[in-house]
Amino acid sequence: MNDVFASKKFNPMSLVMNLGILNAIMFLGITFSDSFLSLIFGKISDSLKNPGIIFSILSFVYVTIFAAIIIQMFLIFKEFYFLKQKRSSSIYFNTMVVFFLLASFSSVFHFFSSLSYIKNTFVIISVILIVINSIRISWIAFIVKKEKISLLLLSVIICTLFIVNLVNSTDTNTHHRIFNEFSGSLGSFFRILMIYGSVYFAVLFFTTLFHIPTAEAFDRKAQEVSSLQYFSKLITQVLDFDDLAETVTEIALKVSNADASWIIWKEEKTLRQLAHKNIGYIDAELITGYIFRERLYRDTGTYFTENLKKFEKRSQLNEQYSAVAVTPLETHNQVRGFLVVAKKGDFIFDDEDKSAINTFSDYASVAIENSRLLEESIEKERLEKELDVAREIQRKILPAKDPVFDRLSISSVFIPAFEVGGDYYDFFEIEKNQSDNSSGKFGFIIADVSGKGISAAFIMAEVKGIFESLSRINESPKEILTKANQILKRSLDRKNFVSAAYGVIDFEKETLSIARAGHCPVILIRDGKVNNIRPMGIGLGLDFGTQFGNSLEETEINLKENDLIVLYTDGITEAKNLELEDFGEAKFENVLLNHSSQNVDEISNEVIKEITLFSQQGTQHDDITLVILKWKHNFNKDGEKEWLNSAHQLKTRVV
Amino acid sequence: MAEFSTSVKDQSGVSVVYLTGYLDAHTAPMLESNFSDLISGGKFKIVVNFKDLVYISSAGLGVFMAFIEKIRENAGDIKLTTMNDKVYNIFDLLGFPLLYEIYKTEDDAIKKFQE
Repeated sequence: MNDVFASKKFNPMSLVMNLGILNAIMFLGITFSDSFLSLIFGKISDSLKNPGIIFSILSFVYVTIFAAIIIQMFLIFKEFYFLKQKRSSSIYFNTMVVFFLLASFSSVFHFFSSLSYIKNTFVIISVILIVINSIRISWIAFIVKKEKISLLLLSVIICTLFIVNLVNSTDTNTHHRIFNEFSGSLGSFFRILMIYGSVYFAVLFFTTLFHIPTAEAFDRKAQEVSSLQYFSKLITQVLDFDDLAETVTEIALKVSNADASWIIWKEEKTLRQLAHKNIGYIDAELITGYIFRERLYRDTGTYFTENLKKFEKRSQLNEQYSAVAVTPLETHNQVRGFLVVAKKGDFIFDDEDKSAINTFSDYASVAIENSRLLEESIEKERLEKELDVAREIQRKILPAKDPVFDRLSISSVFIPAFEVGGDYYDFFEIEKNQSDNSSGKFGFIIADVSGKGISAAFIMAEVKGIFESLSRINESPKEILTKANQILKRSLDRKNFVSAAYGVIDFEKETLSIARAGHCPVILIRDGKVNNIRPMGIGLGLDFGTQFGNSLEETEINLKENDLIVLYTDGITEAKNLELEDFGEAKFENVLLNHSSQNVDEISNEVIKEITLFSQQGTQHDDITLVILKWKHNFNKDGEKEWLNSAHQLKTRVV
Repeated sequence: MAEFSTSVKDQSGVSVVYLTGYLDAHTAPMLESNFSDLISGGKFKIVVNFKDLVYISSAGLGVFMAFIEKIRENAGDIKLTTMNDKVYNIFDLLGFPLLYEIYKTEDDAIKKFQE
């Protein structure tokens, strides 16, 4: 019983029960003290005059027990008084207690009957204060309807007990006599407390009675207030979707006064059920099937209720649910799922349930949306990290600087897309003779790996390794590409492929030979004309049979003074503006043509400038790679020397 | 990026897959699942209609490669039809005409299957 006082929880019903029990003990004590004591000690009045030792002990125990009960009761009353008391009103209670004590102590005056008016005055004032204080019962509003009904019954019983105890203690029975013998004041206090109890519980009875009709509405309002707390709990619980779903159904049960609840979540093609509360999976499955039998769940964007009485499979349900209410869970005006609550028995969902469920589902939707956004941002962060790695791989794979030759000037530009696009280019110096710049061969490759991101970066790395080694074997572009295709067969996934163009410049013979495996054509600008070098060839990895080698052609051209050889990836021709139009071949060729007399760096600058102007604020969807080579036949001419000197620097600009 | 969608129609034993919009790395899985469904349903005669396809990226092209072996092993084929010039150019650059039959119209492709 002590823990009732230890914990400050609002639990008036247990206090009421305690009072009832204490009262009952008193009642039994008073009733049986007469017969029980006279049975042992004969006439009580004699024993009182000449108390034996056993009688003394027994009566002492009796009084002590009563004193303890009185104190306990008093404490409970005090607890009751301050329960849910908003204003500080301890003064009323304290005044009352003072008069209780005064009335009790003044009972010593009963020896002088002329002074008994003092005691009576105190008693009357006490009773007035009791009535005043008893009216101030405010905790009754805070208990639920069910408790109010039981309180109605309890208050009648307890009130009766108080009255009986009061009446019994004023009689000249054993109890009364024992008390008078020990302490008249204690007896008085006991009686006043009994009066307080009777009045308090009588008032409680009527208060409860008047509260009953509004109890349900009050319950609901209280629940709405407490559901506000649940909502805030919802919003914070966004880290795990399943946890969130559990909380949603749990609260849905409380706000809608329903018996069961679950969520129907829309997956790609199916409906998934989760977070079942008070309902088995099979029941939920059956009911879900029934409520969406006619409606297309895609179209249902509003609240609806469904009576299950007509459900033909209702007998198959483990629990006899009678009605369900369904409300959509929406994010971004898109129905993502449904919250379902079900009731048993004859209850149906009324308008207030509807508004409660709807309000709640709005909150739940917000919480779910938050959870989704968080998940997305985590996923995005992960992707960004992955792309960082991919970009780093790509940066390391691409040549750090352009090689420098007397007769060939080279400029390369690479602009990575946000999602690594898989562009790759490289230069290989074959048989370079240090003393003689006019001998040896120079190989180059440009390639575009299908797909994006880290997987593209890994294929790039592999492609680099393959061409790095094949270029040393000094074979023709056609043979190198055919071998590369054979090697890639072992590692390339069926849906991945690589478009590539491989070229070799022979400084001695002054020729360029090119083979193209599905890559964009190589552009040759000669004498103010654009020529697309486009030998036949299938992309690497598209065919591992004989088709690849059989169809691959190799073109050889004799290089002439100021020949401009341009390699590029489709990131250039497919660069898009805000209207999603392509930059296109025509524009690209025009820029090249217009600036073909300038040096290679200037030309590539112009191209990039044009693309930037064209795409405006548009996103770059694919890597952009541009490699421009310019052939100088007569490098010994005086005018060219100057150009050569300025060319000895790092020229790869990774933007 | 703009949307991508597919629809599948059965035309006298040949499954015609219609592509609309942009087929790239992000939308390719949709087409992949279309092909998987057709193959698991035992339908190996497939015509892909590109009439409303605006753009195809390398990842989009990869989808065709991923399934062609399996389909041809089962005496089927993927035939491509009704490409606009831009889309055809992308296929052409990569040498797809050497690997796939490409037809001007859907009917031509279907007839080819029925021969």
